[in-house]
Amino acid sequence: MIEKGRISALQMSLLIYANIVSSAILTVPGITYKYAGRDMWLSPIWGSLSGFFVVFIVYQLNKLYPMETLIQYIQHILGQIPGKIVGFFYLFFYLYAGGTALRQYGDFLVGAFFNRTPILIVIASLALASTFAVRAGLEVLARLSDMFVPLMILLWIMIVLLLIPELDVKNMFPIMENGIKPSIMGAVSPAAWYTIFFHISTLFPFLIDRKQGMKWSMFTVLAVLVTLLITNLATLLLFGGITGSFVFPFMSAARYISYADFFENLESVIMAIWIGGTFIKMGLYNYVLVLNTAQWLNLSDYKPLVLPFWMLLTLVGIWTAPNLPELAHSLSVTGPIISHTYFIVIPVILLLIAVLRNRMRQKAGKP
Amino acid sequence: MKWAAVLGITVMVAFIILYEWPKINPKQKKEKAAVIGLTVMGWLLGVLLVFFPELPGPTKLFDTIVEPLGKWLEK
Repeated sequence: MIEKGRISALQMSLLIYANIVSSAILTVPGITYKYAGRDMWLSPIWGSLSGFFVVFIVYQLNKLYPMETLIQYIQHILGQIPGKIVGFFYLFFYLYAGGTALRQYGDFLVGAFFNRTPILIVIASLALASTFAVRAGLEVLARLSDMFVPLMILLWIMIVLLLIPELDVKNMFPIMENGIKPSIMGAVSPAAWYTIFFHISTLFPFLIDRKQGMKWSMFTVLAVLVTLLITNLATLLLFGGITGSFVFPFMSAARYISYADFFENLESVIMAIWIGGTFIKMGLYNYVLVLNTAQWLNLSDYKPLVLPFWMLLTLVGIWTAPNLPELAHSLSVTGPIISHTYFIVIPVILLLIAVLRNRMRQKAGKP
Repeated sequence: MKWAAVLGITVMVAFIILYEWPKINPKQKKEKAAVIGLTVMGWLLGVLLVFFPELPGPTKLFDTIVEPLGKWLEK
């Protein structure tokens, strides 16, 4: 097998959790408020249905092909040539998603802190850091998230606790003033975040305790749900009707905190969470991309591909969109549709075909 | 200036290949081909972006594919 490292189900959970939560706490409150208004705290709940469903589908596929990742079993399900073609579309999407995540990171960092640094440098350096992590293998990547994620959770809890005295419960009433529909429309963007759980399809074959995989993944969807719910609720209860005027409401909320002239400018804490999380996220994206490409080409090792992909990811990050507004628009509208197609619709079709093929084979076996 | 950027990209590509080459087992022909193929793709994309920075990107491609559905979401 191409990857010799093994990780535990808990480590997989931490990797995925960091991946989703670190960026989602920044972007989700703003976007859900745009659609759902006061009901924005309901949206992560509806969105989580995508997450639970993705985990279920990937687990079923993994049960049929336990030692293989999607790129490998896609060839068993669809046949060699069609499998390679669909696999290529997946690889292209992974490359695009990785480049876009880099670009988001770069645009934000340049806009907020490094006004005079060329974005190429910001992007290339983060990509290079994650490249080293990926070269070191899956186990190292998992240990990095073991190290970062508890710290991230602790910092996040600290921010929420410090916000509590400022919150006003009246801001969330009346609940569902315009029915349930706005909150469901608001759930579209968080749902796209939840579909990132699809990456467990690459990690499942390398679990030591695969039986726990399903349980931990479901538990992680729940953890993401609770995190986003509390983040949205805290933002809403703090800002009420003006939530929509911030690009990153949760960061503005952190900036709002001020105790004893000492606890101030806590948005830098959010930045710390975010940069740590983006590093792990790029590590995982990079790993998924490189490993799956090596499997797609039937190589015996994925490490030689890491540096060439560093260059490609950086370039795609520059290339992906001409400016930030266009990228943001695309991410809120096109993003959810594309990620649901790749991470839910196609896997469901694959599962159906796989199950049908197995049935037919069994029938042929005993006439 | 543009040619300087092309030179920079070329140096980068040369560095990547020189760094990876000794690490790959001489018998692993496929691995060598993959590394060369991917770096050449990187070089081409880089050079294209130097001369045509406005080259429509993959975001545009995905936007165009899902446009009808997207309009419904956006209203």
